[in-house]
Amino acid sequence: MNTVLQAKGICKTYIVNKRQNNVLKNIDLTVSEGEMVAVMGPSGSGKSTLLYCVSGMDRVTSGEVVFNGKSTSKLRESELAQLRLDEMGFIFQQMYMMKNLSVLDNIILPAVSSKKNTESRKQSEERGRALMHRLGIDSVGGNDINEVSGGQLQRACICRSMINSPKIIFADEPTGSLNRASSDEVMNELLSLNRDGTTVMCVTHDPKVAAKCSRVLYLVDGNIIGEKEMGHFGGTEKELRDRERDLNNWLMEQGW
Amino acid sequence: MFWRILKKDLKRKRTMNLILLMFVILCSMFAAASSNNIAAVIGGIEHYFDIADMPDVLVTMDADSDEDKKIEALPGIKEIKTDSSFYIFSSKSFRLHGKKLDNFINPASFIADDEMAINYFDSGNDIIKDVEKGTFYSTTTFTEGLDIKEGDKVEINVDGFSYTLEYKGIFKGAYIQNGTSCLPYLLVDCEDMKCIRDGIKEQGPSYKSMYIKTDDPQAILDYADESDSVFAATRDEQKSIFIFDMMVAYIMMAISIIIMLAAFVVLRFTVGFTIQEEYREIGVMKALGLSNTRIRSLYIVKYLAIAVVGTAIGLVCSLPLSRVMLGAISRNMVIGSENGVVLGIVCSVCVVAIIMLFCYFCTRKVKKLSPLDAVRSGQTGERFRKKSLISIGRSKLPAPLFLALNDVLSAPKQYLLITAVFTLCVLMMNVMATSAVTLKSPKLMRFFCAAESEITILDTELIKDELTVPGGYQITLDKTAKLLDELGIDAKYSTGFSSQASVTHGDKTSTRIFLTAVRGTQRFELQCDEGSAPQKTDEVALTGYALDDLDAKIGDRITADLNGKKHEFIITGRFSTYMGGGYAAYVSDDFDMSGALANGVTGVQIKLNGDPDEKTVSDTIKKLSEKLESDKVFTAEDSVKMMTQASDPINAIKKLDMILTVILTSLIILLMERSFISKEKSEIALMKAVGIQSRSIILQHVLRFVIVSVIACIIASAAVLPISSSLLSGVSSVIGDVRGIDVDYSTVEVFVICPAILLAVTTIGAFITALHTKRITASDTASIE
Repeated sequence: MNTVLQAKGICKTYIVNKRQNNVLKNIDLTVSEGEMVAVMGPSGSGKSTLLYCVSGMDRVTSGEVVFNGKSTSKLRESELAQLRLDEMGFIFQQMYMMKNLSVLDNIILPAVSSKKNTESRKQSEERGRALMHRLGIDSVGGNDINEVSGGQLQRACICRSMINSPKIIFADEPTGSLNRASSDEVMNELLSLNRDGTTVMCVTHDPKVAAKCSRVLYLVDGNIIGEKEMGHFGGTEKELRDRERDLNNWLMEQGW
Repeated sequence: MFWRILKKDLKRKRTMNLILLMFVILCSMFAAASSNNIAAVIGGIEHYFDIADMPDVLVTMDADSDEDKKIEALPGIKEIKTDSSFYIFSSKSFRLHGKKLDNFINPASFIADDEMAINYFDSGNDIIKDVEKGTFYSTTTFTEGLDIKEGDKVEINVDGFSYTLEYKGIFKGAYIQNGTSCLPYLLVDCEDMKCIRDGIKEQGPSYKSMYIKTDDPQAILDYADESDSVFAATRDEQKSIFIFDMMVAYIMMAISIIIMLAAFVVLRFTVGFTIQEEYREIGVMKALGLSNTRIRSLYIVKYLAIAVVGTAIGLVCSLPLSRVMLGAISRNMVIGSENGVVLGIVCSVCVVAIIMLFCYFCTRKVKKLSPLDAVRSGQTGERFRKKSLISIGRSKLPAPLFLALNDVLSAPKQYLLITAVFTLCVLMMNVMATSAVTLKSPKLMRFFCAAESEITILDTELIKDELTVPGGYQITLDKTAKLLDELGIDAKYSTGFSSQASVTHGDKTSTRIFLTAVRGTQRFELQCDEGSAPQKTDEVALTGYALDDLDAKIGDRITADLNGKKHEFIITGRFSTYMGGGYAAYVSDDFDMSGALANGVTGVQIKLNGDPDEKTVSDTIKKLSEKLESDKVFTAEDSVKMMTQASDPINAIKKLDMILTVILTSLIILLMERSFISKEKSEIALMKAVGIQSRSIILQHVLRFVIVSVIACIIASAAVLPISSSLLSGVSSVIGDVRGIDVDYSTVEVFVICPAILLAVTTIGAFITALHTKRITASDTASIE
């Protein structure tokens, strides 16, 4: 399989009050096309920072990030933004949306902002509606963002992340602020997207979420100290329970 | 703990707190300066008259008249002071640095220091006790346009008599009007005055003035009404000479009030914004069990601290601002609030109180919020506003423009207020630009009873006979005919003049009506607002003010006493004019005015034959100027400007207003945009995270203000003509009796330059401030609260 994302010895250092804080320490990472990678680790281990650095939302202090065969480290801010807009999708724990736009308008905003997109506004809107239909939220397209539930809003965020048909979706604790039922729905949607060929990299605290991923990375103090190949999840409850138990055991070994 | 939270808050939310502080400073600065201005304006003239020791009645008569003896015997008289005026008729009789003066039109009037009947003030507003021998003070009319400084020698040269005086500075007199078309006054030592009087052989008419303090002013007015040669004006009537200064003051006051209101409106929003930012923390505190009073007091103390610091700085800043505002009018008057600082402190306390009131109402919501509501940043999850009016899918607008428009439509109240403030800013500039142009428009010539012309000559040598010899207008016309003949100028000419007369209708008598006429080869077509222009010698048209004063109407008969001769007239029409302050009667072309001594003249109007172009007019002006050795040859536009005297002061205020508008708009943009950025940090970070370019976000932020500015410019452009018309009608009714003035305007200035100033300021201001969004990065999504 083709490599979508590669991190070569990346380090991220913050200087706070003249003190150096090394958040990521010489991390090597490869994500292949069609993978669903979970990044786990205790609080403050650098999971979100890793996600932001490899997605181009933040700059690495040293090392190199290669996306789709192209180094992103030397790209200008505007080029990085273009890359994020056209090639990547993002889902955050907080369902950030533009307050003054309806749910549907929020979803199609990246499409109408993309120069690569040659379709008409109407076509973008139809595509947005189709994505909402697929995720079961087509009834709330015209609603204000504060009129929908957290689960619906997070699914709308998934729709937004999908609108420009990205090669990879980065999800930072996508189920962190959802209840179990909503969390399952959102993860099932991400799984479904992954099965359709979209690469997913997500940060999570939840072993049940990570159990649905094909690979799990375990981060401690800015180092990847463990990596577990899980294989693709078939979708049955029994398999999920087995994978979860297996993962929990592995996590215990890592010091979880 | 309470103080620690407060300290931490002030430090952590530095930007928003600084923004709030800036607005408090702005608001208190304008409130203190404006109130000082308002107080100075409202009580300005009365205060000036009090310290100048202005009498109750000012009476003028011929120098050799014995009417003063009879007046002294009138009842109620408490005190009488008398001075005698002496005139030098031409500005060319004065030389500065060896060059003849040519900067004023009217005769220069001399006052001796031993006859100072009221208190005169020097440039530092100190009372002049006496004048050092060999020196003189002058009013600004004398020095206008001159490169004169203290210590310069001015030579008086009349018919071979020469006398030199040293310039000591300007002086102000409470009954002295200043302006190019007014009398210049010179205050000299009594011995110098005697030398000059004795030295000049041919002197024009001289007058004496009585400054009377009385318990019965009406007795003097009644006496003056019955007398042909005594003119009386009460203290209140004298106030009208400062009409232009007060007009300027009131315009400044209007500007101040608008700026103050704008600052308060924005302040209200900033307080609202900053408290909205606090909802989450309020929720946490409520969840922890802190009482509403405790929570509210935390914020109230914080805002009180900001308000007190801000108003203190604002109060200090208001002092120079107040000086700038009053500077526009204090040149001719002794004006200024003696209680300026006290008033400023009172205003500052009011600003603090208003801020606390805003804060009280904004924090009132704390009571209604449950901990959960507050944690949700004040949003309950229920619909609390309308759906978006526009949809991105159905719009063809580029994304940044769509988002900007959507933002404006989503918060209409907030943007409407900004639009209202911007509209007022443009409207102020536009109205003043329109007024300045209208008040120098040749269309106004007819309101000065000046015939249609391209050129006006106001050279004193040419027109002095009109003012000094009864029927002197004919001498002026003869001189003009000769002048045009010598220069080979093919033109018609005329001169307009007015002579004060005693006019009676039934038992009503008025001594303030000016009989006005235009004579010469160029006819003046009087346009009547009602009725028709007089055609026969016994017909007359009156202004509305004159009709009211006489309690007369069209068709009534009146009697006018002109230089001791009674004339019967029938009123044929009502007309508008600025002549005689609106108290005028226009007689027909055939009425004999040969015995009339003019009190006011329009100068000589020249109407070139054919259809002269601009170059021909300017060449003719040049020829006339060279021949007359005078710069007092003007285009129609310049002459109207001189007659109204209001165009230049309004133009000066317009420039000051433009500067204030630029400063105010820049500050509003800077502070509002910083507030928006602070409030929308999460959205900006999100947009960046999903890959929307920084320049698109900056463009969106700039476009929001551009949209608002464009709307403001459209509203201001639509409103400028009706508002200017009402304003100018009001001003015209004060200067004279002119109704239905045609507003003139410069299309480029009103519809291009003024809107362009606002658009440029908003665009540049918003762009520079929006660059701050660059500091918000995509990774900030991780740290958004």
